[in-house]
Amino acid sequence: MLSRSVASAVSPVSSSSLLPNSKPIFCLKTLSGYRSSSFCGGSFRKINHKPLRMTSSNMTPRAMATQQLENADQLIDSVETFIFDCDGVIWKGDKLIEGVPETLDMLRAKGKRLVFVTNNSTKSRKQYGKKFETLGLNVNEEEIFASSFAAAAYLQSINFPKDKKVYVIGEEGILKELELAGFQYLGGPDDGKRQIELKPGFLMEHEHDVGAVVVGFDRYFNYYKIQYGTLCIRENPGCLFIATNRDAVTHLTDAQEWAGGGSMVGALVGSTQREPLVVGKPSTFMMDYLADKFGIQKSQICMVGDRLDTDILFGQNGGCKTLLVLSGVTSISMLESPENKIQPDFYTSKISDFLSPKAATV
Amino acid sequence: MAPQLLSSRNFKSLFDSVDTFLFDCDGVIWKGEKLIDGVAQTLDLIRSKGKNVVFVTNNSVKSRRQYAEKFRSLGVPSVTQDEIFSSSFAAAMYLKVNNFHKDKKVYVIGGEGILEELQIAGFTGLGGPEDGEKRAQWKSNSLFEHDKSVGAVVVGLDPNINYYKLQYGTLCVRENPGCLFIATNRDAVGHMTDLQEWPGAGCMVAAMCGSTEREPIVVGKPSTFMMDFLLQKFGTETSRMCMVGDRLDTDILFGQNAGCKTLLVLTGVTSESNLLKEGNEIEPDYYTSTVSDMMKLMESP
Repeated sequence: MLSRSVASAVSPVSSSSLLPNSKPIFCLKTLSGYRSSSFCGGSFRKINHKPLRMTSSNMTPRAMATQQLENADQLIDSVETFIFDCDGVIWKGDKLIEGVPETLDMLRAKGKRLVFVTNNSTKSRKQYGKKFETLGLNVNEEEIFASSFAAAAYLQSINFPKDKKVYVIGEEGILKELELAGFQYLGGPDDGKRQIELKPGFLMEHEHDVGAVVVGFDRYFNYYKIQYGTLCIRENPGCLFIATNRDAVTHLTDAQEWAGGGSMVGALVGSTQREPLVVGKPSTFMMDYLADKFGIQKSQICMVGDRLDTDILFGQNGGCKTLLVLSGVTSISMLESPENKIQPDFYTSKISDFLSPKAATV
Repeated sequence: MAPQLLSSRNFKSLFDSVDTFLFDCDGVIWKGEKLIDGVAQTLDLIRSKGKNVVFVTNNSVKSRRQYAEKFRSLGVPSVTQDEIFSSSFAAAMYLKVNNFHKDKKVYVIGGEGILEELQIAGFTGLGGPEDGEKRAQWKSNSLFEHDKSVGAVVVGLDPNINYYKLQYGTLCVRENPGCLFIATNRDAVGHMTDLQEWPGAGCMVAAMCGSTEREPIVVGKPSTFMMDFLLQKFGTETSRMCMVGDRLDTDILFGQNAGCKTLLVLTGVTSESNLLKEGNEIEPDYYTSTVSDMMKLMESP
């Protein structure tokens, strides 16, 4: 029986395990997306930065299984920076999680740097800044790193030419960040209104100066966009295929899960048969970016998140300490399941457990 | 062995060793709504020599009946629906041979063809083209509902793909215990129109893999699932069959997996340079430019 907890763990579950009496049918291989990113095709410009590591931390064997956080003060004192995921850690949908403002204030009072890293690409950093403000939190836009920002920052880091365009399969956040960074873009939510008619003599044209296709969570997803993106990637020499993130599901509303960016990215992988460059968690791009920007050492960082295969893996790939909170998508049984291979250093129920320095009840 | 270009030197031995020719459709028989030159006459000539002709297509948008209608409208009335094995038919048959309960429903991300085949097989289908008009809502107190009695989600080519369908299918697969995730096929692109390639079912299927974190059961080529039905109809061994297709990783692989001879034509998605380039691991026995080359070779002394 496939329960949600197993489905949310790292590796895709083979569907043949559910069939009582069928012969194994020829199955094409898993598109897991957590392999190390590879640039496909010969005509890529050389990118002079560290390769984006995304593979699971089998490379650095974990000596210890996760422990419940018992001495919060000790953890707090051992690091200089806290990186927080947002959905399921700070808020759930539009509701602030209990005790968050006091916790953040306490950490700042202790001189800790706070950074917020979210895979949600629907808003720009400025729009997230407004969300924090509306919820009564004292957070600066410069402390927020959404995967929409990451896509624009990535293009800047490789000196993506300003005379090339970016085709966007995603929402406003990505468009705003590209605009801020000075890039020309096409697509976005408006292309959700475009229809196509598959009839004789119909040819879909696409701009030949699109040099990158950025794909993220897109509620206005349709065949027109898939075809446009596919044509650019397949036919424009050197065209980059960038994914903001590959989260399978996301908590758009606090009541249930919703198909996430992993779905839209999956569609483009299916039609182009190419793997994208992922800029969001668990890729280390954002980690490298902010370590560089703020001049912080990764061993001095604690990553706090609610999702094992993005947040915790991101922290581990980056060489940081990791703390899982159970206020979001991961339950204690999912963490302790034998199928789960990702062990954070610590876990606790929610971040306000930091306020009670000794053992918090989980 | 490297693929041999079909010629008067090797054609006769191929033709004599085969009782049934299996043809892919898109890129072999037609391109979009246009019949490829010489196809109608070639099929007639093959039949007149006493060979069987069968069509195996991954395109799930139409049912077998609708494909027979397409053949007729393109000027090939000799093709009957029981000679056509579409992946829409394959999906319904998969549920049938696996004793899918009739009280469970099937959610379809795909075309009318799938819904029609499900209905013919006695199953209840939901979704399909009309869900292309639906939109999801994101208000904090409204829930996106899905039918808890859905026991299988079938995904095929869907030019009307949208977020609503992806979300519906995702919830069924992730939350309905034992829900099957079936793909009609995983072709990356296809000639949906005569002038260019378009994203295929592989795209919609991969979108669902992305959100469900599961791999589907694939019923179309290169899976040999359909072969059992073909053998039931014709009774010959697969070694006396020849698969004629335009795509290496579906048509030719299907033929090889099933033990048939294989012939690649270059009127579809594969060019001669794709075929012969280093790194290509799928080698058909033979290749030729177009199906009507067979007619020229049959007619030459």
